[in-house]
Amino acid sequence: MTDLIPITALGTPGGTQPQRARFGALHLAEDDSMGLASFSLRRGQGAPQAVALPGPGGFLGGFAQGQGIGALWMAPDQWLILGTGQALGDFAAQVAVLLPGGCVTDQTDAWAGIEITSDAGPGPIEALMSKLVNIDLAGFGPGRATRTGLEHMSVFVLRRSESQIAVLGMRSAAASLWHALTTAAARLDHARGTA
Amino acid sequence: MTRLSGGLIDRSRTLSFTFNGRSYPGHPGDTLVSALLANDVRLVGRSFKYHRPRGVFSAGSEEPNALVTLGSGARAEPNTRATVAELFDGLEARSQNHAGPLGFDLLAVNDLLSPFLAAGFYYKTFMWPKAFWEKLYEPAIRRAAGLGSLSMQPDPDAYDKGFLHCDLLVIGAGPSGLSAALTAARAGAKVILADEDFRLGGRLLAESHTVDDAPATDWIAGVEAELASLPNLRLMRRTTVWGAFDHGIYGAVERVADHLPDPGAGVRQTLWRITARRVVLAAGATERHIPFANNDRPGILLAGAMRAYANRWAACPAQRVAIFTNNDDGHRTALDLLGKGVQVAAVVDTRPDATALGPYRTYPAAQVTNTWGRRGLTAIRVAHEGGSDWVTCDALGVSGGWNPNVHLASHQRGRPVWDAAAQAFLPGACPPGMIVAGAAAGQGSTHAALHSGAKAAQTALADLGIVANLPDLPRAEDTPLNLRPLWHVPGKRRAWVDFQNDVTVNDIALAHRENMRPVEHLKRWTTLGMATDQGKTANVTAIAVMADLTGQSIAATGTTIYRPPYTPVSLAVLGGGDTGAQFRPRRLTPTHPWAQAQGAVFVEVGPWMRAQYFPRPGETHWRQSVDREVLATRAGVGLCDVTTLGKVDVQGADAGVFLDRLYCNPMASLKVGMVRYGLMLREDGHVFDDGTCARLGAEHYVVTTTTAQAGPVFRQMEFARQCLWPDLDVHLISTTDAWAQISVAGPQARALLGRVVDGFDLSNAAFPFMACANLTVCGGLRARLFRISFSGELAYELAVPARYGAALMARLVDLGADLGATPYGTEALGVLRIEKGHAAGNELNGQTTAQMLGLGRMVSAKKDAIGTVMSRREGLVSDTRILVGLLPVDAAGPVVAGSHLFAEGAVQQTDTDQGWVTSACYSPHVGSSIGLGFLADGAARMGEVIVAANPLQRQNVRLRVVSPHFIDPDGGRLRD
Amino acid sequence: MLIPHPLLGPRDAVEFTYLGDASLLARPDGLAEGADAAFHDYVYLRDNPAGVHRELWYHEQGDRSWLVVTRNTVTHEILGAELARDVALAMRGAK
Repeated sequence: MTDLIPITALGTPGGTQPQRARFGALHLAEDDSMGLASFSLRRGQGAPQAVALPGPGGFLGGFAQGQGIGALWMAPDQWLILGTGQALGDFAAQVAVLLPGGCVTDQTDAWAGIEITSDAGPGPIEALMSKLVNIDLAGFGPGRATRTGLEHMSVFVLRRSESQIAVLGMRSAAASLWHALTTAAARLDHARGTA
Repeated sequence: MTRLSGGLIDRSRTLSFTFNGRSYPGHPGDTLVSALLANDVRLVGRSFKYHRPRGVFSAGSEEPNALVTLGSGARAEPNTRATVAELFDGLEARSQNHAGPLGFDLLAVNDLLSPFLAAGFYYKTFMWPKAFWEKLYEPAIRRAAGLGSLSMQPDPDAYDKGFLHCDLLVIGAGPSGLSAALTAARAGAKVILADEDFRLGGRLLAESHTVDDAPATDWIAGVEAELASLPNLRLMRRTTVWGAFDHGIYGAVERVADHLPDPGAGVRQTLWRITARRVVLAAGATERHIPFANNDRPGILLAGAMRAYANRWAACPAQRVAIFTNNDDGHRTALDLLGKGVQVAAVVDTRPDATALGPYRTYPAAQVTNTWGRRGLTAIRVAHEGGSDWVTCDALGVSGGWNPNVHLASHQRGRPVWDAAAQAFLPGACPPGMIVAGAAAGQGSTHAALHSGAKAAQTALADLGIVANLPDLPRAEDTPLNLRPLWHVPGKRRAWVDFQNDVTVNDIALAHRENMRPVEHLKRWTTLGMATDQGKTANVTAIAVMADLTGQSIAATGTTIYRPPYTPVSLAVLGGGDTGAQFRPRRLTPTHPWAQAQGAVFVEVGPWMRAQYFPRPGETHWRQSVDREVLATRAGVGLCDVTTLGKVDVQGADAGVFLDRLYCNPMASLKVGMVRYGLMLREDGHVFDDGTCARLGAEHYVVTTTTAQAGPVFRQMEFARQCLWPDLDVHLISTTDAWAQISVAGPQARALLGRVVDGFDLSNAAFPFMACANLTVCGGLRARLFRISFSGELAYELAVPARYGAALMARLVDLGADLGATPYGTEALGVLRIEKGHAAGNELNGQTTAQMLGLGRMVSAKKDAIGTVMSRREGLVSDTRILVGLLPVDAAGPVVAGSHLFAEGAVQQTDTDQGWVTSACYSPHVGSSIGLGFLADGAARMGEVIVAANPLQRQNVRLRVVSPHFIDPDGGRLRD
Repeated sequence: MLIPHPLLGPRDAVEFTYLGDASLLARPDGLAEGADAAFHDYVYLRDNPAGVHRELWYHEQGDRSWLVVTRNTVTHEILGAELARDVALAMRGAK
């Protein structure tokens, strides 16, 4: 193991602990533990036999049972594979074994992940999304994921459950993403307080 | 106090507000205007052109007169309509557009000059002498014109935006909107109901009608309760839908905190972008007036507004009122006011068969021909069959019929259509997916509005495959207007049509005489229908007056159409809160926190913040820091974060073929484990971008782009992959952010790297110039190493997962202390590359070619890469300009980028221009300023002295033409 | 505007960047006879009709698909959208 100490995307010097914040029912938490890799099917390669990858707009958590591995559809014939707790290993190599024959590229540190959960049901989550992303929530239930713009940034939004989403943004813009998310969450909390 | 009984105000609480510094009481539920009227304040402003005293004219967002400045200090907002300003405790308002007090306006002299200020006055008068316009006329006109003034301070409030989607958007919460929303929401559709008012009910709130034999507010309360219980309906009060855009996208502004003294930590307004599959426009109607002589005195207002003030707000502008009408609606106002104990002096009805509907005097076949009262109405002149009388009254309600609010229906070029039966313009071709209901569709009775709203919702949802049942609608009035059109009372005196722009019937007649007859010309010649109210109470009347004058029908005269916004929208909310930190995202490099701790000075490079230089104690000027960083790199080893360069992972069986077509030079022949410089052209033959291409495996390349073009290059690569060569097996993904990449440059670079790699052979033989490899560093951390150089020194770029970037940089600085390891920023990076003669953004500016860069031979003629064919064009091939180095003849002389190059002694003009300076810096290596530039015939002019002209600063600097490689022209340092 | 993405359904136009005339799919062969003239036409000659037009849009803030969108430039009505890759492959097949 290397003795270099990693920092989180929102980290300041020595910032090895992920950021967290709470605004009313909404909890925002930086997650730096996910391993990420893109997987593309070669021309003419059939879909992998071992697992069912999700279709356009889809997101599948834990498809490889017991491995905490999920996938979201990124582009035609291309998926982003997510591995819980796999950030520090060589996740791309793992994916290449799991899904042989395709093209795999490490994406672990390309993205900053922020998990947002509500302890008051889907209402606060959907109110927050309405302020940030132009997504029709009618078609964005659990298991859906999409890439879209958020305050001029390109992000993936994953609907993990009715009351939890994950936002993946460019690692370099993590601070701006965090600012956008926390500002919107704080304002919603304020509006609820004054209503 | 003219506060009547009843009304929808909360008398249990008293609010205090000020108007022009004086304090008045009001109640929750009041608007600024209803509270002013209840306090007997009738004079609220001065007119735009003639500075005539003006009072309230309407009870809604169509108001042309009662424009005030709300708030104070930085929060002062001019030109707000007092009729829709919701009262709160501590509200401050001031009148506008007067010099001196409101009651005695010095600029009222304009009124005496009115014969000279007719339509087209400015266009005609200030034509000559021509020079006077800019210096004299325009500044004077600008000082006198306009309404309120801006605070000139930054807006202290926060704004934001949001995105909503629905099956059905219902615009307006009057009877038709409520029944539409109820119908749709009960069917389970996702519904948004938006209304500009702070209270649901629309016109019902202004009427005394019963609904199901009970007050209308009972029915509204029942509907409101049901709507609140339905989770599929979103109710948006204080929300104006102001524009209809393509494909069912609607703009709306929610006034979140305008009714609060201070928004606190919340937002003031929210801009909503609503994507609606179907829309019911239930925007109601606006009453129109009938112009007559001196019809603009305070106290003269729309009869329906007078009724609204009495019924909803228990306020009336006077104790003794009269009504002027051409329909039955005017009589309703008389009846409602009588019921509230207001004296009705007379109802002047233009219809010969008019009869009173209650105990008040009615003049049939009569007209109001003049009025009296300097700062407010005191009497009207009534011409009737038996002669004419002065009738004493302090307020006059005018009722000329109703104009459907067709505005949003015409935002997609749908022209309203004249309907002779309704005597009104009705919506024409609507935006796809929109149905108009209620008074906006000419269905103005409460009964008709309720039914048309429900029917519209049912029809709209049926389109979406949603079955909606019509609700049982309550019994409601269904009385006709019995309108007999009269568009203006003829006469010689001024009769106002458009109050906000001071346009009179005489102005329209003048426009007619001057042949400005088409409605579009009429509008512009007279300024009719412009400014904040956009002619909501004026346009249709003006068209009818023009129709009278031309003898054409109103239908043939036509109408203008409307554009967004329906009512004024502040620029602040249109910005959606994208100010300050949210103006645009900032991208930070992996070593940013480390560089911050080192005290680096940062510079914006597109969205990136990059370390510009690292000042050390004792350094007082940036040049000292930069010179030190450059010299330290050339003498020992320098370290620079170069993560910002775009990185794209290219894989697939055809990756090499694909890259051969993207780069003008060959790439498929690149050996695994090697890197090559690559040049991309645009299809027109000019240079697009440059970078490196590293082959990590047989089917795996990593290409880099310049920082600025990372996005466009990736877009071009996807275009090539999907659109040009879709049969190739190629896979792309950006890895820019995934890897922290650090340049390690200088004669000690190898020695330093040797201290971090895990047993990797860095010798020249094992890892030569332009080699690349996967390896591990610092005890097992996966990494990539590229032996490439931008500085001209022995150099490497080392990449590790981004989260380790800051730690790796700190480690390298630490381990390299004895080797002179020095972090350097973008300034030193620039100096190093200019000294080496490497092209960068300044040279790759979109107008240059490979040949100009001295790289013409890189363009392979053996393959069909993007831009290859067009790069051979005669015009590009015959261009002799080429990249050269430039040295000042006088070593102390400056070299200024952007200067143009001329032969010594030549006249300096376009046709003698020989090129320009692209980049310049002070070179500590050379000991003077140096530059790069494109120079005609440059290759043949080494040693020649030329002139760099910078006419902006009257600079002419003599420069010697030299090789662009100021250091190590043979490249020995790179390869050692 | 809403672009009817063939895989993702209606998406707001702000997620896309616009390139223009879909004739750019028909890139001439740079090694063929007469390539100079063919490229001149390809690079510089575009239709700009007032009416139905086939255009290239790139879903940059989305799935990075290039689309061929058929749009009426007068009414902004969108008559259809296809993956540009499918269109390009069909063109190859037709050759």
